[in-house]
Amino acid sequence: MSSLVDAIAVAGRTAPSRVIFGPHETNLGDDRRISRRHVAYYQARAAGGSGVIVTETASVHPSDWPYERAPLAADCGPGWAAVAAGCQPHGSLVLAGLGHAGGQGSSANSQSVLWAPSRVADAINREMPMEMGQEEIDQLVDGFAGAARLAADAGLDGVEIDVGPISLLRQFHSGLTNLRGDAYGTDKLRLTTEVVAAVRRAIGADHVISVRLCCDELAPWAGITPDHAFDHLATLAGQVDLVVVVRGGPFSVSAYRPDAHAPAIFNAELCRRMRDAAGARVPVVLQGSVIDPGSAQAALDDGTADLVEMTRAQIAEPRLVTLVREGAAHRARPCILCNQACRVRDNRNPIVSCVGDPGSGHETTEPAAEGTDPVAHEVLVVGGGVAGLECARVLAGRGHRVRLIERGPRLGGVVVAASVGPGRARLAELAGWLESECRASGVEVEVGAEVTPADLDAATAGGAAVVIATGSRPRPIDVPVDETITVVDGLSALAGGSARLPDGPVVVHDPVGGPIGIGVAEWLAGEGRRVSIVTPDQIAGTLLAITGDLADANTRLQRAGVRRELRAVLRGAKGGRALLDDVWTGERREVDAAVIIDCGHRLPEETLYQGRPGTPRAGDCVAPRTLLEAVLEGRRRALEVGSGSATSGLAIR
Amino acid sequence: MSAGSHYRHLFTPLRLGPVTVRNRIVFSAHLTNYAAAGLPTAQHAAYYAARAAGGSGLIITEEHSTHVTDWPYEKLIHGFNPAVLPGYRRITDAVHAHDVPIFAQINHNGGQGSSMYSRLPVWAPSPVPDPLFREVPKAVELSEIGEIVAGYAEVAERCIAGGFDGIELQCSHSSIVRGFLSPATNHRTDGYGGPLENRARLLLEIVDAVREAIGADKALGVRLCGDELIEGGTGIDDAVAVAKMVDAGGRVDYINTSIGVATATLFMIEASMQVPPGYAMFIPSAIRQAVGLPVVGVGRFKDPLQADRALDEGQCDLVGVVRGQIADADFAAKARSGHATDIRTCLSCNQECVGRMGLNRWLGCIESPRTGREAIPLPLRSRPKKVVVVGGGPGGLQAAVTAAERGHRVVLYERHDRLGGQVQVAATVPSRAEFLDIARNLIVNARRAGVELRTGIEADPDSIRAEQPAAVVVATGARPSRPWWAADHPRVVDIRDVLEGRVSPDGEVVVVDELGFHPATSTAELLADRGCRVEIVTNGMVVGQDLGVTLDMETWNVKAHAKGIAQSVDLVPMGAAPLAGGPHPGGVELSLQHHPTGTDQLRRCDWVVCAVQPEPEDRLWSELRESAFAVYRVGDCLAPRRAHAAVIEGHRVAAAL
Repeated sequence: MSSLVDAIAVAGRTAPSRVIFGPHETNLGDDRRISRRHVAYYQARAAGGSGVIVTETASVHPSDWPYERAPLAADCGPGWAAVAAGCQPHGSLVLAGLGHAGGQGSSANSQSVLWAPSRVADAINREMPMEMGQEEIDQLVDGFAGAARLAADAGLDGVEIDVGPISLLRQFHSGLTNLRGDAYGTDKLRLTTEVVAAVRRAIGADHVISVRLCCDELAPWAGITPDHAFDHLATLAGQVDLVVVVRGGPFSVSAYRPDAHAPAIFNAELCRRMRDAAGARVPVVLQGSVIDPGSAQAALDDGTADLVEMTRAQIAEPRLVTLVREGAAHRARPCILCNQACRVRDNRNPIVSCVGDPGSGHETTEPAAEGTDPVAHEVLVVGGGVAGLECARVLAGRGHRVRLIERGPRLGGVVVAASVGPGRARLAELAGWLESECRASGVEVEVGAEVTPADLDAATAGGAAVVIATGSRPRPIDVPVDETITVVDGLSALAGGSARLPDGPVVVHDPVGGPIGIGVAEWLAGEGRRVSIVTPDQIAGTLLAITGDLADANTRLQRAGVRRELRAVLRGAKGGRALLDDVWTGERREVDAAVIIDCGHRLPEETLYQGRPGTPRAGDCVAPRTLLEAVLEGRRRALEVGSGSATSGLAIR
Repeated sequence: MSAGSHYRHLFTPLRLGPVTVRNRIVFSAHLTNYAAAGLPTAQHAAYYAARAAGGSGLIITEEHSTHVTDWPYEKLIHGFNPAVLPGYRRITDAVHAHDVPIFAQINHNGGQGSSMYSRLPVWAPSPVPDPLFREVPKAVELSEIGEIVAGYAEVAERCIAGGFDGIELQCSHSSIVRGFLSPATNHRTDGYGGPLENRARLLLEIVDAVREAIGADKALGVRLCGDELIEGGTGIDDAVAVAKMVDAGGRVDYINTSIGVATATLFMIEASMQVPPGYAMFIPSAIRQAVGLPVVGVGRFKDPLQADRALDEGQCDLVGVVRGQIADADFAAKARSGHATDIRTCLSCNQECVGRMGLNRWLGCIESPRTGREAIPLPLRSRPKKVVVVGGGPGGLQAAVTAAERGHRVVLYERHDRLGGQVQVAATVPSRAEFLDIARNLIVNARRAGVELRTGIEADPDSIRAEQPAAVVVATGARPSRPWWAADHPRVVDIRDVLEGRVSPDGEVVVVDELGFHPATSTAELLADRGCRVEIVTNGMVVGQDLGVTLDMETWNVKAHAKGIAQSVDLVPMGAAPLAGGPHPGGVELSLQHHPTGTDQLRRCDWVVCAVQPEPEDRLWSELRESAFAVYRVGDCLAPRRAHAAVIEGHRVAAAL
């Protein structure tokens, strides 16, 4: 029985563990080149024990420019060489991700027509591509071979060919997008086999060829089904060295790496079936929300896969494999499958990161939290939400004596309150991990105690530094509501439970469009309440676009019977009715309401700060934002206070 | 007639404090997304220089951020970073080479921003989240207000060191100063909140500090918002009062104006063709009556006569012509030399300028393939060739214009009597009429460049070979395709059947939209105006999803509401059966599937009108592709897309001949 941390031979090379860091968009590129920031990002995972690292998928031909910082293989030689030099000393195999997005790309950057097997406009970009002729097909095959040669010359261990949910090769595999009458239409695998053969000729048998293979487009009427994929894999098995089993197609791009609304390890059955098709001729990799080392090991043990891809788990915890190897898996920072900071295929080009580890993706710009400060201080941290916990954790880890005081009965702050309802439970795991790390590193924790400005003075007089992380409070609703209707803020409603809410129809007021409003609506619908959600937008939950949950969330709301009051602004409520105006036409609507749950933006809880302005502070008490900012500021304050550089909060933003 | 004498005022000089402009046409500040890593680029310099060379009276650059807490969008110029200086000099040298003054706009966007790039809290007067960014800002403390003021002064000084002739303070549509001025976002109870004098305190402190920093021999302007168009926001009375305060201080040389809030009512700042030209002139008019300073007016100035009229009527002293000069860098020069009809008039389509800004892409123009690419040289000219272009839509016309301008002998065939291709069709809808300007502009330029235009003649391979061309550009466009589910139902038609007058639907009409842009919504509007009861169904999550990109979403929805057009989303057509009797004799029973839930729906109506992907008209290309001469495809006959793609491809192919 092989262990997650055992080595495995691939194409005559040895991966030091069976854990893969898969290819993903990072926006770390220097234009279309692999950058210094990429190198530091991959290097941290190599140092942490990753078995195989696949770099961000590079376009093999200039006709492909799917997002602004998408690497272009022709520009990647030096960057790949630097990644190899940074990672290989740690033993990791490094493969160049190679692909072409075809009709799922974008013409916005290239200002050129998209290539595709057939004239089928993509469901998302709606842009009509050109049908590739033999000339373009030949260029594509040459592009893959040339890129692979460049990667091998740069010292990489091989390449991974993208036949995943956003890829031209998958478009050839699928009856949804390949309507050709020629040999590439009758044999839908033909182009991929030509590409694989050309790549093999280019890099030889001693370099790895991995294939990221879509095995289910979740569109059985014409798309790739597991039955098709079984045949595809049976054909490819003898030609490639590694196969990563993935799902997702033109109508289900977000199913590839969904957030926590999808169960963990959702591809297990698909992967087992594909491993049968492979028939031991090629190792098969399990992908898809594999975040927990125990479950990953179980997938190896029960024959689901030969290796596991744990990309997001290693975005959250670069040292994941090393910690498992040391028998300290519980010390690994958990991925909570929130997709809030690591899913960066977005026009704004956000840099890949992690809400739990904001240093992720920012290895060259954010100072490391680990390390020891030369002088040990006493520090009082006020507030046991994630900002306070992260601050205390980092300070204690750096050798300081830390006392953390929380006014409520338990630690975790709003994250714990928000972790109610479908797909939301994992949020609390981050708070739980922070708490256990604090306790393990000797933070003195006190709950149920209020801190006053005089207490701060006393601490300061005793030589302690102070950090305020008192979180947020509800913003009073700013429209008239009569006595027939109860108004409760979203987090209080979640914390109090549905039984404490008055009977009758519920109106969820969601001017934010984030996960909280949607989560509250789903939760209460699940409890059998009649729910409407009021949003100023044309779609509910617009901020979920970046997590990939937008369409799914709307479908869930619909299935749960939640009424979506779109383009609506809440004007008030009286006589058991909420009064809504259309944001553009001003037309008045009314909906039944016994209770309004206000999921609007919150206010900073700054009473203590106002008592002693200038004290260093972190997180929501500065301005209520997301987990990432709370953790980031908690950590920054810890580094400043720990190094003695934070004398006044005013110097700090 | 002497130069510029068509105009009474437009080409008269004017003093803006220490700076004199030679005419009243201002290329006012606007985002370009040309910055890289926070620094200005060679593209900036080439872009502004082209407008200076084209006769603009004054260039005002896009904003430069004054503080590290201000980084709302990725490609913002970091004025707070001293490394910008060489880039500033490159810009100002390039513009000064044409004897045109250039000012730098400096700004802090305040709460109208995000921590995504800066990883710092967003700063604002009060913790009021912006409607677009939806991030709760940090209410700035007093010492931080001092830091803001110091940031403006520091960046202003740096701009002057970089060669700028003046500074404009953006206090208008996206600014922390606007945030302080507006009661909607300033809830402070200290000396910076409450009455207008308090809310204006930050502005006046910045004016003083910046004047101090730049000295008396550089110009200083303030851009104010005359109406935020939001509830509880700044209106014209407050704006006039603030303008008076600014004037009274005696430290400012001109006032620029704007309307709307960039993160709430952007559709009124960069108004599309749905909004009448000159719509914002009540603002400079009111301010000009109250102050002695020169005032700039803005708002969809498309032609020089319109600009001259605004000056003549005393609405303003200078006119901001942004999109007009994006579309044609020589706007001013052409007007001045008496060739105003040659101006490539802006369509206010917003597709490649405004539309690309919101998507974090570099600024371009649907009509001008060189806009945004000024710094990239064209291929060297080759010796003159005989070129045949087939098809007189935007792709073919642009190919012909570019080829002819580069010295080639060009013949263009168009089988219809009229040139313009599908633009002619799209512009038959009254609300889309200005789109026709792209065809007019191309035709004018083709004639001027000497293209031989042969209309009403269908070119075939034999007639083309008889021309003995060195190269042929095929731009034969696209034809409507029939969706599989429509079968042969005679009442299921294409929007082109409606717009070209082949059918006249009446009664209840369902418009099926698979394109998500103007084709469906404008046709629906036309049908509603003709008395039809119209419903649009789309497979998307919203009807006309891309109208948001061009800022047409708000006006479309207001009109749709007024015209009773229903909108249904997430629906995929599955079949169209004939209806014999009932209320819709001869009509259609349209089967629809709600794709997220898999549930079925029916619509019984008189007509179904489809806005679906057309098919390339590429027969001629297939017949010619093995020819002895070079054959190229551009535009819809390659893959049916929007007009900009045809124009770009026509230009690219012709420039490389």
